[in-house]
Amino acid sequence: MQPISILGPGADDLAGTLAERLEGRVAVVRRDESPDESNERGHHDGDTAGDTTLSLSSDGSWTGRGTVDGFDALLDRLAPDHDYLVAVGLARLRVPAVLLGDDADPDETPGDVLARGAGPEDVDVDDLLAALVGAEPWVTRELLVDRVERSADAERSGAIATFTGRVRARDAPDDERTTHLAFEKYEGVARERMDAIAAELTDREGVFEVAFHHRTGVIEAGEDIVFVVVLAGHRAEAFRAVEDGIDRLKDEVPIFKKETTESEEFWLHQRS
Amino acid sequence: MEWKLFADLAEIAGDRVVAVDTDPGETVGDALGDLLEAHPGLRDRVLDDGEVADHINVLRNGSNVHHDDGMETRLEAGDELALFPPVSGG
Repeated sequence: MQPISILGPGADDLAGTLAERLEGRVAVVRRDESPDESNERGHHDGDTAGDTTLSLSSDGSWTGRGTVDGFDALLDRLAPDHDYLVAVGLARLRVPAVLLGDDADPDETPGDVLARGAGPEDVDVDDLLAALVGAEPWVTRELLVDRVERSADAERSGAIATFTGRVRARDAPDDERTTHLAFEKYEGVARERMDAIAAELTDREGVFEVAFHHRTGVIEAGEDIVFVVVLAGHRAEAFRAVEDGIDRLKDEVPIFKKETTESEEFWLHQRS
Repeated sequence: MEWKLFADLAEIAGDRVVAVDTDPGETVGDALGDLLEAHPGLRDRVLDDGEVADHINVLRNGSNVHHDDGMETRLEAGDELALFPPVSGG
């Protein structure tokens, strides 16, 4: 799923225009500014663009298809069965943004700013759609599990094994806290290497599907970084393929990690 | 030719993409020489005793030049060159 934040005055209008132009299943999420009218917020049918329309209230709960906490949970929950999420007035790291308003400050925006304008009429929607093609999608472990489960060999599979790499705040209780990691990727070549490793692992007897995803950009303590998901006949080959998959990714795929702790910043390859 | 640089190498050069005047028919080594001349700060980081240090990766079109003729590999028009330190994903 590709998320995009639209921020500032007129964001709702631009979100509607954009949602109509996006192909596939589109969710539109709005920040709800009227928590007093909790019975009124929620699903809007018919009159707005988008297949799923949700309101996220200031206390972090949202209505429409259940209640979970916050924007992150909403992104994770919608990712498996939506192609796009258009978020009005909501922003976070690694979600690209459109910034409206004359006094808006891109340095204060957590995601990459793809377009700016005083109002919605200043944003060229064609250019925005083109910029969105190159943005990083929101991929979750569940999305990858759903993907491998759709395998033609799913009937012969009795095991799914997954590995999730996450940002460890500290290795030992008295370690200095890691606040975030920043990853950069040799685009194209990283994907080719991951595809080649996946192809080699699926050549093994009883390994049917292998899916890799490594996030890039700034990832904060406690957040997920990388997923390896394997669909196999039995648990032994599933575990082995997951372990070999993550080991080979760490050895072979051109991805680079910079760590920021409470007091310093350094590239990981200079410490190992 | 263009070099793509990553991690601290891009920070030292001040750019992720550096164009050099190396022509097709010349070698990867020639292109690296042109890069180090344009960004002398990279020299100590990339070279060890005059040779490319073991831990530095040199790629041509996504493949390590060790698989071809190393630094003697001939360049073709449109080649993409990349230089990076040990990978550290995950």
